[in-house]
Amino acid sequence: MPRPRVAALALAVGVVLADSSIVVLALPDIYRELDTSVSGVTWVLVSFNLVMALAAVPAALLARRVGPGRAAAVGLAIFAGAGLACGLSDELSTLILARCVQALGGAAAVTAALELLPATVGSERRAATVWAAAGATGAALGPALGGILTELVSWQSIFLLQVPVALIAAVPILAVAKHEAATGVIEPELRRTGRPHIWANLALAMVSAAIAAALFLLVLLLIEGWRLSPIAAAIVVSVMPLSALVGAKLAEYVADARSRAAAGAILVSGGLAALAFLPKATIALTIPPQILVGIGLSLVLSALTETALGGRAPQAIHGGWTISARHAGVVIGLLALTPIFTADIDQQRHDAINAGTAVILDSPVNPLLKLDLAEKVSERLEEEKGKVPTIGPAFEPLPDNSAERAEVEQLKGELQDQLDRGATHAFSTSFILAALLGLIALFPIALSKEVEL
Amino acid sequence: MRGRVLVIGAVVASLLLVGAYLAAGGSSYEPEQVQNPCKPRPWSNPQTLGQIANQFTISALDGAACKLGVSREALARALATPEGRKRFAEKYGIDDEKLAKAIRAGLLRAVDDAEEAGALSPILAVPLRATLRDIPLEEAIELIQNAKSLLGNVEGFLGPAESIIEQFLP
Repeated sequence: MPRPRVAALALAVGVVLADSSIVVLALPDIYRELDTSVSGVTWVLVSFNLVMALAAVPAALLARRVGPGRAAAVGLAIFAGAGLACGLSDELSTLILARCVQALGGAAAVTAALELLPATVGSERRAATVWAAAGATGAALGPALGGILTELVSWQSIFLLQVPVALIAAVPILAVAKHEAATGVIEPELRRTGRPHIWANLALAMVSAAIAAALFLLVLLLIEGWRLSPIAAAIVVSVMPLSALVGAKLAEYVADARSRAAAGAILVSGGLAALAFLPKATIALTIPPQILVGIGLSLVLSALTETALGGRAPQAIHGGWTISARHAGVVIGLLALTPIFTADIDQQRHDAINAGTAVILDSPVNPLLKLDLAEKVSERLEEEKGKVPTIGPAFEPLPDNSAERAEVEQLKGELQDQLDRGATHAFSTSFILAALLGLIALFPIALSKEVEL
Repeated sequence: MRGRVLVIGAVVASLLLVGAYLAAGGSSYEPEQVQNPCKPRPWSNPQTLGQIANQFTISALDGAACKLGVSREALARALATPEGRKRFAEKYGIDDEKLAKAIRAGLLRAVDDAEEAGALSPILAVPLRATLRDIPLEEAIELIQNAKSLLGNVEGFLGPAESIIEQFLP
């Protein structure tokens, strides 16, 4: 078994599927640097997932026509080229266009990899396991890597770094592509493609919508609501991939895929519901819900992917269906929830400005200071375009009189608490809706009786 | 069997966490409500001249906001800067004359509230009302244009009479 080729294929799958979530932590920076709206910046994420959803099955069919080696190599080259274009983009429209091209290349590489893996690892089942694990690892590590790169270098570096990684992954695959070109090995059995597993793929779409929402909303809450840096947010959301490792271990003890899928969907929904009811704006309180979501996503994604692929041939086509379902779910989750939480954030900003002014006016602070403070605080809230600011600077300089200074300090604390709780509350409806999506997935999971492993 | 245990475990863990967060007040958040400025706002027994001035400002803002049909908070922000006042005028369609009249009405309500709360003697309240009623429109606009001086004047307004007022403080 050529180990470099397995590693290259796993790397290709990992880097492409990481791309569906790697920009999540960079979105606030892109949002500010390209001077766009929250809805606009969401399309940096949506465009990639939408094209992946639409292109996965056609890409798998193409890979079987032209040869998976060639499809994977060309796909990775396109992915790398488009990644370079993403990194050099200085406008939202060109960035979104480059993301679409990146997804086309990525779809070809990922589905072709599933076609190449059985011959490389020895069996279809082993191939499916490697493929699913590489994809899950990439998707889970994506946000943390993106956050670290955004803070240490820039959001552009996320895409520029993908170029050498994709090209390194393409090198061992080139040998297969050359062999195909020389021998003309083309899979002719296209007519024998079986029907996709409808219920497993439908459940995958719903659960993916819930998971995407969990990740996207939590990152926005941490960075925009609680003012964490991207690297700090990356560390916080790393709880999910770490918990996913526990989920993977847990899955080894339960053979029944339907039970694993149901338990996973329940845990994802439970974690999301807990995030909707955070009692305080404290990072520590996000940890238990993240543990539930992390364990849940690992259980449900692997179980449903196994169910969707189990006993079905050709693997690449059915793998394409699972990719399509997962990315369609991400798109649905983002498109359905974005208008809801942007409206909630706007309402929260309006409430925060009024609440801030009311708290200042009702305080015992000198009337001469009041209007000045009310104006400075509302100006900071207006300036931040929905981001909840640290309002400390609005209170500078503090009064010289010690009694007055104590009053102003207390007022500052009360006001910041109001704003933080308001920001947290602004995400509640979206988290509840995402939790419901996870629960609705239990219906197709219950109907997916035919599990052939 | 293991599958059933896993599902039950997932349900229990989820319910426990959500229940704990709800019990800790996870659903209790309500944004600070903006009060109706036309409703009387009771004075909280001011003891010093500074506290009286503070309550006086709030009452004046309430009275003016009530007259204009806006919130006290929106009016306070409008009075802070000329830009704020311009945005306020555009948003609510309120010109300077209307604003000045409203501020005068607000100051009169503040005097009424102070008198009712026993913080101001009727002996002082009568001439104060007369002075406020006679403030020319231009002067009122000038005061509105400079919010700090408006509030300075509220305190300064009481300041010269401080020795007299203090005799009547509760």
